[in-house]
Amino acid sequence: MKTPVHIIDNRTGQPVEAELFDEVTVEHFIETQQEWRPLVLKAARQLVAHGSRELIPQHFHWDWTTKAPELSALANNFYGIRCENKLQGLMKLQTVGPFCRCRLPEQADKALVYVDYVEVAPWNLKTLAAALGEKPVYNAVGSRLVEAAVLKSKEEDCKGRVGLHSLPITELFYRKVCGMTPVGRDSAKQNLLWLEYTPEQAENFLSGAR
Amino acid sequence: MMRFNTDPEWLKKQAALEDNCFVSVGGLVLAVEDLEQQAQRVNAVHTAFVNLLNLTRREYKLTWEQFSQKVDVDLAELMGIESDENYKPTPRTVTKIAQFINVPAEKVFILSGLARARDIQFEEAALRFAARSQPVKELTSEEHEALKEYVKFLCER
Repeated sequence: MKTPVHIIDNRTGQPVEAELFDEVTVEHFIETQQEWRPLVLKAARQLVAHGSRELIPQHFHWDWTTKAPELSALANNFYGIRCENKLQGLMKLQTVGPFCRCRLPEQADKALVYVDYVEVAPWNLKTLAAALGEKPVYNAVGSRLVEAAVLKSKEEDCKGRVGLHSLPITELFYRKVCGMTPVGRDSAKQNLLWLEYTPEQAENFLSGAR
Repeated sequence: MMRFNTDPEWLKKQAALEDNCFVSVGGLVLAVEDLEQQAQRVNAVHTAFVNLLNLTRREYKLTWEQFSQKVDVDLAELMGIESDENYKPTPRTVTKIAQFINVPAEKVFILSGLARARDIQFEEAALRFAARSQPVKELTSEEHEALKEYVKFLCER
C-alpha cells in the first residue's frame, strides 16, 4: 500500500505531498540508523552539554534494525512516511499480542491495535532541531502515523480502538494532540503510561471534532 | 483502503498542536554512556561474515573475481568487506549475497553490520564460526562442517 498524504512543510507553512506506505523493509531500518541516529545522538550530546538533560529524547538509543526479523510476522504492521525522498517517520503496530486488549472499563478486554513503536525523523522534532541549530523541517508527521494506526484499527474491525505505552516525554502528544485517554501506569512495562482510544475518541481525532 | 483526512485545516490544526511535542513510542532510556560502550564492542560478527564469504567462495572453487560475477556484485564491494571491518556494503550487495548462499537476507544484513542482532546467541554463534574457520587454501572437512552448520543455523533461526 502506498497512499499520498499531506504533511506541513515548516519552511512555507503549507501542506506538501508525502507518501505513506506499509511495505517497510530492512533498508528503511538501515536508513534510520544511517540518517536519523547520528543526528539524534548529536542532539542528545548538545543537550547534555547545555545542561538540558531532561530534554534528551528518551528514544535516542533505538535501533530499528533489530526489528528486521519481525518484518515477516503477520501480527506486525509497519508504516513509513516518505517526503523529498527521505524517511520522515516510522511506526510498528501489532494486531495480535498481549497488549492488544483494551483496559478502559467501558471497553475492557475488547481487541485493539497496539502501537509498539513510533519514531519521527529528528529534523522534524523542534527540540532536537534546535539542539542542532536548525528549524524543524516537517510537521504533523506524528499525527499522520496515529491516523494510520486508527485506520488500521478500523480495518481490523477494532472500530478505531488503539492503545500504546507512552514515554514520559511524549505523554503530552498522545493526550492533548491525539486526544487519547490516559488509563494508568503499567508496572509490566516499566511504569509507562498506558493510553487508549475509544471508537468515539478515534472518530473525533480523525474528523478534528475535538 | 485507508482513507486519510484530506482537509488542509485539519492538517494545519494538528501541526500547530504537534509543534512543540516529542513524538515517539517504544523502549526506555539508556544512559548516553551505555550507548557509547555498546558501540565499542568487539565485532566478531564481521569476522564471521568475511569467513562465510571466503569459505563459500572456496567451496565453489571460485576466485574473488569469479565469485563477484557469480553473485552479481561489485568486486570492490567484496574487497571492501574482506579488508575493512568498518566497511558497510550496499543493501543490494547484501541481498545478492544472501540469495547466493541461500540464507534469509535479514540475517546477512546483521552479519554485514548494516543491521544489529537483538540477542547474544547470534553473536556467540558468529564468534564460534569465526574461530573454527581458518584461512587455509582448501576446505578441510571441519571447515566444510562448520560452514554447513552455520548456514543451517542462519536458516533455522
